[in-house]
Amino acid sequence: MEALTAEVAVNTIKELGSMVLYIILGTIILEILVYLVLGKIFKSKYTLPYMLMIAAIFGLTMLVIYPIGYEVRLAFTNMSLRHFRSYTLSWAQGLKNFGLIFSEPVLKQIRFFPLLFRTLLWTAVNVVFHLAGGLGLAILLNRQMRGRGFYRALLVCPWAVPQIIAVLAWKGEFHYEYGFINVMLKSIGMQPIQWMISPFWNFAAACITNIWLGIPFMMIIILGGLQSIPLEFYDAAEIDGASRWQQFRNITLPLLKPVLTPAVVLGIIWTFNNFNVPYMINANELETTDILVTALFRAAFEYHRYGFSAAFAMIIFIVLFIIASVYIRITHGLKGAYE
Amino acid sequence: MKKFLTVLLVLVMLMGIVGIASAKVNLILWTKEGEEALDWNKSLIEEFMKANPNITIELVKKTNVEVLREDFLTASLAGAAPDILWTVSDHAGPFVAADIVEAVDNLFDLNMYVESAMDAVKLEGKYWGIPISNGNQLMLLYNKKLIAEAPKDTDELFAVGKKLTTGGNYALVWNQTEPFWLVPWLGGFKGKVFAEDGVTPTLNTPEMIATLKFLHDMKFDAKIVPPECDYDAADTLFKEGKAAMIINGDWSISGYVSVLGDDLGVARIPKVSATGEWPKPYTSGVYFMLTKGISGDKLKAAQDFIGFVSSKEKQLEGVKLLNRLPAVKEALEDPLITENPILKGSADQMVVGTPMPTVLEMRCNWDSMKPEMLAVLADTKSPEDAAKLMQSSAESCIKSLE
Amino acid sequence: MKNKNKQSNIYRFFISPSRGDSPFKRMVIHLTLIVACAIAVYPVLRIISVSLRPGDRLLSTSLAIIPKDASLYSYYRIIFEKPFLLWLWNSLAITITTAFIGLILASTSAYAFSRWKFPGRVPGLFFLLTTQMIPAAMLIVPIYILAVKFQLINSYRGLALAYSVSSVPFSIWILKGYYDTIPRELEEAAKIDGASQMGTFFRIILPLSTPALAIVFLFNFMMAWNDWIMARIMLQRENMFTWPLGIWTLAGQFRVEWGAFTAASILVAVPVMALFLYSSKWLISGLTLGSVKG
Repeated sequence: MEALTAEVAVNTIKELGSMVLYIILGTIILEILVYLVLGKIFKSKYTLPYMLMIAAIFGLTMLVIYPIGYEVRLAFTNMSLRHFRSYTLSWAQGLKNFGLIFSEPVLKQIRFFPLLFRTLLWTAVNVVFHLAGGLGLAILLNRQMRGRGFYRALLVCPWAVPQIIAVLAWKGEFHYEYGFINVMLKSIGMQPIQWMISPFWNFAAACITNIWLGIPFMMIIILGGLQSIPLEFYDAAEIDGASRWQQFRNITLPLLKPVLTPAVVLGIIWTFNNFNVPYMINANELETTDILVTALFRAAFEYHRYGFSAAFAMIIFIVLFIIASVYIRITHGLKGAYE
Repeated sequence: MKKFLTVLLVLVMLMGIVGIASAKVNLILWTKEGEEALDWNKSLIEEFMKANPNITIELVKKTNVEVLREDFLTASLAGAAPDILWTVSDHAGPFVAADIVEAVDNLFDLNMYVESAMDAVKLEGKYWGIPISNGNQLMLLYNKKLIAEAPKDTDELFAVGKKLTTGGNYALVWNQTEPFWLVPWLGGFKGKVFAEDGVTPTLNTPEMIATLKFLHDMKFDAKIVPPECDYDAADTLFKEGKAAMIINGDWSISGYVSVLGDDLGVARIPKVSATGEWPKPYTSGVYFMLTKGISGDKLKAAQDFIGFVSSKEKQLEGVKLLNRLPAVKEALEDPLITENPILKGSADQMVVGTPMPTVLEMRCNWDSMKPEMLAVLADTKSPEDAAKLMQSSAESCIKSLE
Repeated sequence: MKNKNKQSNIYRFFISPSRGDSPFKRMVIHLTLIVACAIAVYPVLRIISVSLRPGDRLLSTSLAIIPKDASLYSYYRIIFEKPFLLWLWNSLAITITTAFIGLILASTSAYAFSRWKFPGRVPGLFFLLTTQMIPAAMLIVPIYILAVKFQLINSYRGLALAYSVSSVPFSIWILKGYYDTIPRELEEAAKIDGASQMGTFFRIILPLSTPALAIVFLFNFMMAWNDWIMARIMLQRENMFTWPLGIWTLAGQFRVEWGAFTAASILVAVPVMALFLYSSKWLISGLTLGSVKG
């Protein structure tokens, strides 16, 4: 059995040490290149910022741009198990792939538009509950009371627990015989729910888990936002005779917007692309619980339709991109960030 | 700093040179085994390496068969595949389709192996794996303390079962979430998942409908099984003595022996009273497969190792350790097996089993059967509708394989 | 109520006083919070209770948190019979390296975005945002192929590099936001006194940004520490596994070693949660950095 020995530890440090040396070496070379090219040849006044960024640019090119390029090329092939080593690469094949996404079932039975609809439903349900829960809890916590720190510490637990552990634990709780929800239902005389077999309840289970996971994040952000609203505003409003509700609508909400908008955008993006929760809660691989990204994963790794899934991935990305752009446009939320 | 770097560089280069100098053959073996079987892997390799000092075999454990399949495909794509695989027969389908394994017809003497084991990896007229052990079949395991003798047919099963299922105890448990547990009964109703050509699915048949109806009745009419039961639940209930019988595979035998000892009985799955046929569980096994392109010294080393594991002595060792039936004909006739009641029961069941199809299209069948079987057992679809959907799912899945 | 608080203005600034709330209202609030806490914490308690059960039994109908025959056997097994400590070491080595490298890459790049309007700036920011939208499954195969080409598979280097770079976009957004709130007058003043541009970066900006830097370090750390999918691609030998992969191997295809799995989960989750709670005050301010002006 492999164990942690002094030898292993020393090896690790040696390896990581040499890697750091290589990185430093590489960065120095890149910096010199940029300096020479931009500074001496082009005499650009932007030499310094580019020198600052070159290492990150290089890394992102390797980790993001090259893989995306590879996938785009793959989308125009018919690579699959039968066509593993030699496959056709052509515009026609690409068009065919994109057409197939919409015309044929993506997995066994599920088609694209129902899948898209379900993903949107998933995103909407989760984000709404995250916001509502986070807002409610943040408002309750934003007051001077005993045990405040204690409550906050406990309420942050779902976010603090590593996601895999939390998801697998929840999956255990949805077990028909032994999960605590069914045990409690049985003890109050109700019928236990077939979480893993019923399409509706399985989807609900995934939502419950994700809502549990996501509320603390929203709560913390909103709490931060609430705490930076100057009290003088509330005092002034109270003097003017505004009710609590009016204060909330006219002071709290608008002033929370700069904080909320990036949080909600991130929330939408992360929920839309959330893989762990719908994949793992779905113990029996019901296609009715799949959202776009889990269907993508299955198409690629369980059905080995590499070319097809590359095209599918592009479509998913475009859809999310459109949604996020529209949302940002509507709320003018990120104006400040681009200045 | 500079000095440190130079010394480091020189050391690395020296090590590289030393590496090239020794003419050792290094094989990489991926295995899907875990627990006791993995220990057997390790001891086999150790013994072999001691006898052959110029060969080193590196064992890489893959968490489960799905991981092994995915990783082997991705590794082959990137040119980083291992040399030998220790895996299950149904990987032959995808690997042959992707052309990443070698045919073994001319590399080994295939006559020493059990025919049904070889048939399981015969595709496109060639053989693609060397069997290590045979079986993997489902059978009826029972707790002699709760039920003295196994029922001979399904009518008896229902009658006895009703008496045994009371107060949180069940007569029979089985993994109700995987179609692997459905196919034996399908065989008992004289059905098959493929037509004669071996690649066209035949899931929407009266036999399938009868099977689904039977499973539905077992749960809702006779009520001898739990309402929702996956592998873990079945296993736990049987181990805790809350279930008299369990349908499970030969891999689970050692676990039950350690809990029940002599109280464990092994028998064939009861005959289907309606047809008079024994259910036909799928038999498959664990196989060696060779990566495509293996040649020269590595190929010879691989052949040596595989020959070593196929020796009668090692085969019987595997039987003793893992309660799995051997794949080498000679070993199968040994008294070690014929005189052990548990192994005898297992061999009995295997004899009426049928080899699991390993063609690529079989994956589509599995995936199509699963949700519909679940729906029938959840009482949300009728057997007729389920069978129809199974067929259409399988057909569209096969179309997409192109 | 107002004259009861002889507090400093800063304290008043951050807490909205409960102005004359009835005891009933306060009780309701406390009750709600207690229920919310129970829901937040219960699944974690269940993991603890499974880890204390003898035998690999997730499945038991008792809801007791501490089972009757509680035993620490699973913990013993996990530490001594499985390479759990090795997994933790692997994770720790990779994660710390990642957090540092990522921080360095991001802090310099964010400075560039914040202080210069170079060509490609706005598209660059936009690009950073869109990287968050890419489904991870899309990148698995190409990154694997790339890593094989550069011999980065099954090594600490490969994963550390991958993690460092993948945390960069998010870190740049946060740091840039924070840098934007530091007035340029400070740098101008220093330059008049003879400092170079980079000098102001090291001597003025960085020291002022320590809260933001700490947060970025923390985020990078957490992201790398908890990641499963990237590790799954890059590490294929069990002696290199990080703890998420290690834990995942305990959940075999049919047989889940629940005792070992939950014990390992607790051993990993507890320090993570402690770290989290300790730094949570910073997290609150960190996530709102730069977005609330004034």
